[in-house]
Amino acid sequence: MGVIKKIPIYTESIPGGALVATNLEAVLNFGRSKSLWYLLFGTACCAIELMCTGASRYDFDRLGMIFRASPRQADLIIAAGTITKKMAPRLRRLYDQMSEPRYVIAMGGCTIKGGPFYYDSYSVEKGIDHIVPVDIYIPGCPPRPESLLEGCLHLQEKIRTQKLSEWQEK
Amino acid sequence: MTQQELTAYIQANFDGKLTLLDTGRAEPMFEVRSENLIESARRLRDDPQLKFEFLCNLGGVDTGQRLEIVYSIASLTNHLRLDFKLALAYEHPSVETMTVVWPAANWYEREMFELYGIEVKNHPDLRPLLLPENWNQGNPMRKNWDAPDFVRMPEL
Repeated sequence: MGVIKKIPIYTESIPGGALVATNLEAVLNFGRSKSLWYLLFGTACCAIELMCTGASRYDFDRLGMIFRASPRQADLIIAAGTITKKMAPRLRRLYDQMSEPRYVIAMGGCTIKGGPFYYDSYSVEKGIDHIVPVDIYIPGCPPRPESLLEGCLHLQEKIRTQKLSEWQEK
Repeated sequence: MTQQELTAYIQANFDGKLTLLDTGRAEPMFEVRSENLIESARRLRDDPQLKFEFLCNLGGVDTGQRLEIVYSIASLTNHLRLDFKLALAYEHPSVETMTVVWPAANWYEREMFELYGIEVKNHPDLRPLLLPENWNQGNPMRKNWDAPDFVRMPEL
């Protein structure tokens, strides 16, 4: 698993307590990366792998990732499964209901480029990056839990290195 | 009643309105003409020897030459199964609703209406069911159907 980087903290004792000086960006990014609550959004077989990753064998909770049933409480959508053209506006709506900062993981071939439904399908959206901005793509059909975990670690790395000054609404 | 007895019973008692098709399969497949459709279905449901009270499935078929509607019915009382189909031409295909005999046909007929473009007459609620609300690209299960972003599988 990844190395925990130390947050730069300077403390000085004063009568009655301590003064702490630190880097706000580092603290915010650390907090955000270690509590990625994800929205339950499983639409096809990738959701089985997502459930497996959340269960005891792979144990998502140790990364601070806990599933939420409401977009209001979630920081992350793991789009696990085929997104049909009828589902696409719903996905956009759920994404819009989440509060900033918000992240999207496209899990599996269907969400990346339509997957096995790229040909001969009238109903499948060919890639969810037409609908929402995607941070991490995880290929596979479906990806194994190890791939999903690695994708989440990459997302944590991305959050840890983001700059507050560069933050903008997507 | 065995499969053979069922076939013989239908051939003897339905005045030729259900004709047996030679499919080469174990289960018999009957064909019905659209003017006899509702009457034959009612008799299949109400005949005390048959009592086909359960509609398992209803679906459209596009064979490339014609459109077909396949009805699969079952009798839970007499442990029987039966399939029969109805052939339609491509020009303005329409059929009488089966909801008057089996109410379960409601959603099947809505699905068939939007995917195959087969109009269902006297249907209680003929709204689109599966396709997106703003769909305007025709009937995707037709063999000759194409859409701007439809990608055909290349020949391998």
